Amino acid sequence: MNKPWYLDRRTFLRGTGVTLSLPFLECMSANASVAPRPKRFCAVYFPYGVSMSSKDENAKWRWFPEGEGKDYQFNESLKPLDPLRESLTVVGGLSHPNGRTIGGHDTADIWLTGGMLKGAQLTNTVSLDQIAAAHLGHETRFRSITLSNTGGVGEVTRSSTLSYARDGQPIPAINQPRLVYNRLFGLEKGSKEEQRSEFSNSRSMLDLVLDHSKSVRGKLGKRDQEKFDEYLASVRQIEERVERSEQWLKIPKPSVNATGLHLDADDSTPEELMKTMYDLMFLAFQTDSTRFATYQLDNMNGATSIAGKFPQLLGFGKSSHSLAHGGNKANGAAALGKWDQFRAKQLSYFLQRLRDTEEGEGNLLDHTIVMYGSSNSNTHNNKNYPTILAGGDKMGFKHGQYLRYDEDTPFANVHRTILNRLEVPVDAFADSTGELEEIMA
Amino acid sequence: MLLYWGVVAVPLMAHASSAASSAEYEKDIRPILEKHCFACHGPDKQKNDIRFDTMSTDMINDRPEAETWHDTLDVLNFDEMPPEDEPRLSDDERRKLIGWLNYKIEAVVKATKSTGGRPVMRRLNRSEYQNTMADLLGIESRYANNLPPEGLSEDGFKNNGASLQMSAMQMEYYLEAARTAMSKSIVSGKQPEVFRHVIEESNGTAGNKSQRERDYSNTLSRTSFFLGKIEKDYHEHGEFLVRIRAKADLKKGQGYPRMEVALGYRVDTLMPERIVDEVEVTSERIQTYEFRGRIEDYPLPSRVQSKFPGLLIRVSNVYDDGSPMPKQETVVLEPAVGKKKAKTKKIWPKESHLPSIEVESVEFAGPVFDSWPPKYHSDILFPSKKRRTDERGYAAQVLKRFMHRAFRRPVELAEVEPYLALFERVRGTVATFDEAIREPLAMVLISPDFLYLVEAGGEEKRPINDWEIASRLSYFLWGTMPDESLFIAAEKGRLQKKGEIKRIVATMLNDERSWNFVDQFVDQWLDVGAVNRVAINPEFYPDWKDELKPSIHEETKHFFAEVLNERMSALNFLDSDFVMVNRPLARHYGLDESPRGMKFERVSLPETSDRGGLLTQASVLLGHSTGEDSHPVLRAVWLRERLLDDPPANPPPDVPGLDSENPDFAKLPVREQLKIHRGQASCNDCHRSIDPWGIAMDGFGADGLVRTEITRRDPKKRGKMFAQPVVTETTLPGGVDINGMDDLKAYLLAEKREQFARALVSKLMTYALGRSMELTDEAMIDELTADFISYDFQLHRLVQEVASSSAFLTK
Repeated sequence: MNKPWYLDRRTFLRGTGVTLSLPFLECMSANASVAPRPKRFCAVYFPYGVSMSSKDENAKWRWFPEGEGKDYQFNESLKPLDPLRESLTVVGGLSHPNGRTIGGHDTADIWLTGGMLKGAQLTNTVSLDQIAAAHLGHETRFRSITLSNTGGVGEVTRSSTLSYARDGQPIPAINQPRLVYNRLFGLEKGSKEEQRSEFSNSRSMLDLVLDHSKSVRGKLGKRDQEKFDEYLASVRQIEERVERSEQWLKIPKPSVNATGLHLDADDSTPEELMKTMYDLMFLAFQTDSTRFATYQLDNMNGATSIAGKFPQLLGFGKSSHSLAHGGNKANGAAALGKWDQFRAKQLSYFLQRLRDTEEGEGNLLDHTIVMYGSSNSNTHNNKNYPTILAGGDKMGFKHGQYLRYDEDTPFANVHRTILNRLEVPVDAFADSTGELEEIMA
Repeated sequence: MLLYWGVVAVPLMAHASSAASSAEYEKDIRPILEKHCFACHGPDKQKNDIRFDTMSTDMINDRPEAETWHDTLDVLNFDEMPPEDEPRLSDDERRKLIGWLNYKIEAVVKATKSTGGRPVMRRLNRSEYQNTMADLLGIESRYANNLPPEGLSEDGFKNNGASLQMSAMQMEYYLEAARTAMSKSIVSGKQPEVFRHVIEESNGTAGNKSQRERDYSNTLSRTSFFLGKIEKDYHEHGEFLVRIRAKADLKKGQGYPRMEVALGYRVDTLMPERIVDEVEVTSERIQTYEFRGRIEDYPLPSRVQSKFPGLLIRVSNVYDDGSPMPKQETVVLEPAVGKKKAKTKKIWPKESHLPSIEVESVEFAGPVFDSWPPKYHSDILFPSKKRRTDERGYAAQVLKRFMHRAFRRPVELAEVEPYLALFERVRGTVATFDEAIREPLAMVLISPDFLYLVEAGGEEKRPINDWEIASRLSYFLWGTMPDESLFIAAEKGRLQKKGEIKRIVATMLNDERSWNFVDQFVDQWLDVGAVNRVAINPEFYPDWKDELKPSIHEETKHFFAEVLNERMSALNFLDSDFVMVNRPLARHYGLDESPRGMKFERVSLPETSDRGGLLTQASVLLGHSTGEDSHPVLRAVWLRERLLDDPPANPPPDVPGLDSENPDFAKLPVREQLKIHRGQASCNDCHRSIDPWGIAMDGFGADGLVRTEITRRDPKKRGKMFAQPVVTETTLPGGVDINGMDDLKAYLLAEKREQFARALVSKLMTYALGRSMELTDEAMIDELTADFISYDFQLHRLVQEVASSSAFLTK
């Protein structure tokens, strides 16, 4: 197999007294198998729920499988995942108790956080990926990456990102594949020396900006000060990033072959866009550029989502919202089911790429937990989240099942289970009451 | 109350006094609670610790109670209370109770979000940042490409200080953009060598199949374009110049052909994707047309990729008279001989009725400069003797001048110190002054005074100063930084006089930069961008052409601009006797009298026309459709939100969808379908005040055209299409029977013109101030509305009044 990201170990370490932990690259070292494997997590979200008609003639388009436990069969919607059956678990019946009482379109924000978005203070809480990134992100060049098809942060309760920082602030998602690529793999401008001096300039510059800003802050009214603190926090955070980049300066970015990546794909070419986003997450994991990624396929804001029309452009007839609304109508179940199936195909492609890539004695998927699903079962319904947990076989997961829970089990138990498998020490996550014992080996 | 149409006209004022509200509670609400709830949550029992008879209804001040009321709303929406074995609420009781709770809770939310009637320090949004960078540096380039898309405020605006956020990633891209900008602005060394290529015949080939189906030619028509390929060296940074020698072949009764130039190379379509510009070709004699841009703004092919495709320049003719595209014809090149199949080729028939362009040559050159060093460089690094004698002193002057423009106010020497400190630090590490000054200049571009509209503020409101007024005016009306004349006006203290402000506003609206205001305000107020979120299903609209979308998007903006610039009445938004169209759109709308070209022109409508006003514009009709059919609910919500400032409440959690698996459902007219929806009490509460507005508009399809039949699929017959007659008779809230769009417009004009006026005032204020309107703004809005109405709803005057209102001039 062609490995364009192959790195010569000497190139890799030339001229450096390596002091920080190295990115883990399978292609680099034969002895690497003795080192602990990196543990990764990826979350992929879609809005408005899935096809789940109660009518018998639509049974084959039900998203949730028939049967239960080990003994279950996929319906049409999830058939594309058949080759991965033993590497994943379908989970039904779960929801965030906090989400059950808020608006039918308001739950995307809290899917990864379990936060409460009700009343006047619409402040979210930290998302699962960011807790993991805070604990483990220092081992890679990037702590995490946040992607979505719409991009940015969107609007509270209709956000276009899945990731939230510790203070509950949304983290803007990138929606241009080329930007993701440039961040992860793009060539740095200038020589090492030039970069080094640029970093050092950056640090003085940011210091000076911070200093100067303190005098600005004093002149502001109270509301403005709160807003201004966002600015100050952002400057401090990039100071941190500059320092980090400086440390990583010694190690070149992995070089990957961009052939086959549709880096200019946008909302006019949805299939290429989504495939490329999956490809980029795969490459990010494979090159160990980051271990934590989130990707929101679409959000529940008709007013800003550019992804709502994707099914129309791809020949599924209606917008994602209309497909979901039509799920109960005659023929609607099949129309929505086919769209569900298309999304499952793309997920399957991503999972198979991870599985088909060797790492140590196993493959990348063995050490990657992928969480896929929605915070609606069908439109406006904030219960019974359709959920797939895949991968992580060597992190203590036991797959090949369809698990059903009742409402006594909060969805956050999934988050807690994942954090513990990642070996992030947490006692609880949001309103979790325990772990999902049934999924653990 | 939000749910009731009849009460809506002046709802906030009516409810603002708590006396009215508590009287309503005693009269209408308490009796319902007493009848259904007190038994378990009253004096005797307090199940779940909830007791209604003594619970405070002052939700703004008693927050724990407000939370309990909120939970009460939820259990009612979920139909969890009263318990199953108890008597149900009647529909009327339920509606009253939910309506009251919704209203009260909304008020609490508003009160909590209040910014005290003052704008929150606001960051330049993407569009403002782009314009400001271009104006500040004097270089047209793409500065905001990497910035994340902006979120919307709850009222749909993109310039709301409270909702514009900052994040580390955003800062990172600001820093990168600042440095890149400075490396362009401050040049060093000798003028770089200029590469020049002249292409006389279309010599490129595109990879994408659908693109290949156009012919390559020096004659530009709807079915052919010129594709030039450059394989030899070309510059990869700096300004380029495309010089095209071409002439038009004009046709009687048709407009001028329009030449569009695109450049770069897109990996997935294998075509140049990014448009440089377009221009009308009006002469039948060869003329030279020049196009400029910065090459780094265009995706360039990679020289290291397996097969270097070359830099592609596409020159095409985007003129379209709106007539259907011709079909390709197959011509036989070599006839079939024995078993050998015939060799054929598909070609486009010549459309000799359409104007075309004949290209003689295409020249591509770069990097080009007007002078060396270029003007934008010398504007920052102005000539001075000091430069050689006192480098530090010169740096201080350079920075101070630059900061003055970047911060949009005078700068104290002390403020320059930190920037000077950076200069000195960097100066020690690099060879030249020019290199060293780039970094502190970049630092200016990431400082808060540049990225935000910073206005000092204390406990008390204060009138803003001249410089702050200059910025507010300029971002309101131009979407960019003040220009030299505004700076001068500020410096001379002329901006404190209301009369002077009005005069300046009129001048500013005359300036072409005011298009930024039209473009941004119309997009945010009316959400015309919705057309880009809906894809038309060609099975339902076989004649549809996606190429129309940009024209549809533009129409509403040109319409707004016409009303504004010609000092017309804003009631034209409700109905008008003219439209603003270009040729393809006129063809689409079936207008006889038609503009000749792609430019938008005012076209009078005949008496009998179905068109006029905003409601019949395709941007509204398509944007709020499913792409297959109209979407009466979305259209109705749009009308109430955007034109009447009366948005319906959000759907409650777990609202059931149209739960009909009845295959005959599809055969019902939409009016009947919606009726079924309203049959459920929980839906009816809201939808009876929503649906009628949309039903009245149902005579227009997703394509924005009048229709008498609706195309549907029959679910029982494998989706076979059938036609359904359009029904537009409906009863508006308040009991007015109307039938169709004309009636709707007449009703709005007769009965709702004042509410519309107030809505427009409120939206314009929201945009002008960059903050949401609050209770304390009501009096101001009323005053402006009264003035607006008494001056015949003149939009131009309203903009002047808003810009000179005390709210606009206060921090």
